[in-house]
Amino acid sequence: MTAQVCVLYFAKSVELTGVKEEIVAVPTPISSRDVWRLLLQRHQRLSVLQDQVVLAVRQQYVAVGDQVVTLADGDEVAVVPPLSGG
Amino acid sequence: DAASTPTSLSRDWLSVQEVVDAVSSSSCGAISVFIGTTREDELDGRKVIGLEYEAYELMAQSEFTKLCADIRERWPTVTHICVHHRLGWVRPVLPWQISSPHRHDSQQAIQRCIDQLKANIPIWKKEVYDTQDSSWKENAECSWSTRNKSSSESV
Repeated sequence: MTAQVCVLYFAKSVELTGVKEEIVAVPTPISSRDVWRLLLQRHQRLSVLQDQVVLAVRQQYVAVGDQVVTLADGDEVAVVPPLSGG
Repeated sequence: DAASTPTSLSRDWLSVQEVVDAVSSSSCGAISVFIGTTREDELDGRKVIGLEYEAYELMAQSEFTKLCADIRERWPTVTHICVHHRLGWVRPVLPWQISSPHRHDSQQAIQRCIDQLKANIPIWKKEVYDTQDSSWKENAECSWSTRNKSSSESV
């Protein structure tokens, strides 16, 4: 199955991709590592953030790794560089 | 009773008085306030002329809600929590206030509030220098920051 998800980029990842938001077709279910790999294929410069990034799926943090997520059309998947609020 | 916990992300100038008024209560003898400001830093000869804040707003709101629940569970006497954070181009100010009947709880709670905000709330800060370049900062509290490389635990 494939889901049309809304990928959101923030902070440094916007500068690396040149994009703030895009719709991407993603197989589901899928591991968070494979989501990251898919985004790297679209935007190779994201590799600068390798090991310094987590994802947020439907506003819940997911580390890049073996965790499997199920995605539906319209779900938000965010690329989350290290935080610096406060 | 779940006392109100107004939190907001705003592109406008923040009023400390407004935040004080939001947490004041006749049952509270203590209000702890944290005001985060812009330091006039110099880094390698470059002077910080301002900051730009960006947020994943929908998720920052849900994470604030979780943070307030965490604070209330640890310090049940905490009555009101109010957190305001600027977005966009900023000079100061980030006023945060927590009120409680006695000062110990509100002082402890605000420490945790700041630590947890820096670790979990999806907000990013970019320093802009007088040399016209800029850099995205990273909180050491954030478990996936390069400043915290010893940690590989999942969030």
